[in-house]
Amino acid sequence: MNWNRRQVLWAGGGMGAAALLAACGGGNDAASSGSGGKPRKGGTLRIGALGRSSAIVRDPHGVQGNESDYLVIALVHDTLTAPGLKDNAVGRLASSWKPSKDLKTWRFTIAKGATFHDGTPVTADDVVWSLRRLRHTPAGAARLPGMKADHITAEGKDTVVVVSDFANAELPVMMRLSTFILKKNTPDKDMAKAPGTGPFKLDWYRGGNARLLRNEHWHGGQVYLDAIEVTMFESPQAMANAMMSGQIDVASNAGPVAARTADARKDIQVVRRPDDMAMPVVMRTSGGPFADPKVREAMKLVVDREAMVKQVLSGYGTVANDILGTADPDYAKSIPQRHRDLTKAKKLLKEAEFDLSRTYELVTTEDVPGLAESATLFASQAREAGVKIKVVKQESGTFYQKTWLKGDLYTNYWGTNDSLVFFASKTMTTGSGENEADWSDKGFDAAYHKAIAAADPTARTAALRELQQIEHDASGYLLWGMADGIDLAAPKVHGLPKLPGYGRVQLENVWLAR
Amino acid sequence: MLLVLLAVVFAAIELLPGDAASATSERGEGAAGVAARRHLLGLDRPVWERFWDWITALPTGDLGTSARGERVTDLLADPLPNTVLLGATAFVLTALGALALGLWAAARPRGTVDRIVDLTSTAAFALPEFVVSVGLLLALSLWTGWLPAATVTSADGSPASWSMLVMPVLALTIPQTGWNTRIVRAALADQASTPHVEAAHLDGLPTRRILLRHALPGAWPAIATGVATATGPLLGGAVVVETLFNYPGIGAVLAGAVADRDTPVIAGVVACAAALITVVLLLADLVRARTLGARP
Repeated sequence: MNWNRRQVLWAGGGMGAAALLAACGGGNDAASSGSGGKPRKGGTLRIGALGRSSAIVRDPHGVQGNESDYLVIALVHDTLTAPGLKDNAVGRLASSWKPSKDLKTWRFTIAKGATFHDGTPVTADDVVWSLRRLRHTPAGAARLPGMKADHITAEGKDTVVVVSDFANAELPVMMRLSTFILKKNTPDKDMAKAPGTGPFKLDWYRGGNARLLRNEHWHGGQVYLDAIEVTMFESPQAMANAMMSGQIDVASNAGPVAARTADARKDIQVVRRPDDMAMPVVMRTSGGPFADPKVREAMKLVVDREAMVKQVLSGYGTVANDILGTADPDYAKSIPQRHRDLTKAKKLLKEAEFDLSRTYELVTTEDVPGLAESATLFASQAREAGVKIKVVKQESGTFYQKTWLKGDLYTNYWGTNDSLVFFASKTMTTGSGENEADWSDKGFDAAYHKAIAAADPTARTAALRELQQIEHDASGYLLWGMADGIDLAAPKVHGLPKLPGYGRVQLENVWLAR
Repeated sequence: MLLVLLAVVFAAIELLPGDAASATSERGEGAAGVAARRHLLGLDRPVWERFWDWITALPTGDLGTSARGERVTDLLADPLPNTVLLGATAFVLTALGALALGLWAAARPRGTVDRIVDLTSTAAFALPEFVVSVGLLLALSLWTGWLPAATVTSADGSPASWSMLVMPVLALTIPQTGWNTRIVRAALADQASTPHVEAAHLDGLPTRRILLRHALPGAWPAIATGVATATGPLLGGAVVVETLFNYPGIGAVLAGAVADRDTPVIAGVVACAAALITVVLLLADLVRARTLGARP
């Protein structure tokens, strides 16, 4: 019951912390819940979000572990870009951007009329100061990869110039990650109360709970809600109880168990955000029993994906095809779905001379719901192909110290809809920092470099297709499915975001029916 | 005593796998970043050195800084009063309840009431806070809708309504009352066999008068000590109860800090809890000393 939210958020934060908060710039109707007629102005939304009082961090550039804090920060502060439905990055505080021919120099134009909550206009200096501050945090290199702090400069009042270390067509996508903009020279001690440029401004914050008021002058357009009250919940159970007893209007990221309970009730909407979380099985490719690509392919053929989705995720999810980044618009739907094929798996194992007399350990944690269950179910499915797997549960801290990045066979999770390129660059290219399967493939690296250096969309899509094919065929990831993100909401709540990952905190389009 | 306890806390956290730097790092941070933060947090120094720094700053009211860079005193400023409110209310209720039930049962030894109280108090004590909490939640909130299921905080950091205190307090009180009723009953039974109480009986005084005037005064020391020891379990139970009812108390801070291996926060909570328990035990001792007519 007491999962470690930090890990969920870690995953969600992905390369950086505060990450994919922020809105898709309004008007993205398809990305929201319910129709319910014409949006109405007014009302207070009471929303519950998970968090731990010991993990409270108020600095927008800090290592936030709490979803509740993310939510507050993302509503108060804008990022430069934000995740969108059709594009990986849409404008937020930046209204437009333009690369140089070599894709190394990017110019971001600040949205017209953007002001801080105290009325002062946002200048390029503010953005440069904020980005450099972010870059100087301990995880700064991971948050703004390939961007040196000195290479972020201002050009005039409203243009920010970022010079990347390498050609990078995905740079605007990086700018949707935790690039919260504050006023230049905001002292560290004032971070918690510093004015932002977001759709809501802070009324009060106390111990993880907050009240936010509408920013009447938001550059991004009309905001409907008068106020948002955020309540932090230590346990998902308590949050679900509060939802059932009508104390809150929205339970953010409540999970499949709560959804199952709520499904039976007419007075609660279950909002599903597809492609929210990946829980792959990771096989070490550089050594150990799974180093042979044939063995890995066999394991990918052993898993019964439909059964996994049905049992592990209670059906709140979709089958996946061993490619990470399922919500990317360039995700290759044309690559045939891998299905269970025990005969072929056995044949491959035989060819690879896989030792079937041994028992292999699959290490897992209980960090997110369903993760340990996925390991157990997979182990029993593998048994049908003659592969003996013993599930070993590790406590989160131990797992990250001893198993993550090192183990032969373990479960992991990524709580966001990050792009194909994100996963490729962070977890699969040769020598990348979080290469969980320790995988190295020349063809893959080449396809990756082709993709990020491609200015022409067609060439880029082609390179990404190639990259995905190699990933599907040979990588150390067995991605059996994608879990839906699940929010619970009262019937009067409309316009909730349907984007996966931290798209869920984009609440400026939400409105309440009378 | 407190010093030893805190030293044990420091040592115990050291023995847990993982440390605060890795537990609170970001996934993208990389080994070098984690090492830098480890240095920043002083985790590369020997544990006794860190303990010494922390303990010498303690008298000045400085509880150190959390692994996430927040001041521990700030982290505890809101939750501590909330837990004290919860614990103190439960403490008073459990003391009054136990006293009332104990006296009621003692009025007719081996009578129906005595047997029922004996049975239910044992049962109540055997129930973990968790079970009581879930039972209360179902009965008083989810089925009937009488009380709010979770605690929502207002701008000053305390529960938004008194009604949110009812279930957490009851969840703590019920098991403890079970235990304390047995103590009260036993202390009164001991007194019943003393000569002066027997004499009062033979004099034909009313039961009520005997219990209150003759038996109870002698039973006070035992009762006070017994009830005072409830402070520990009450605070321990608060960890569970606070999580279940989302009560913004110190238990939640502690649980999270242990997961983060956040030594200064854990030690800070332990120090506060130990201080509370010490004060209550001291008060119990004073009651004892007064009744027994001696000064400690």
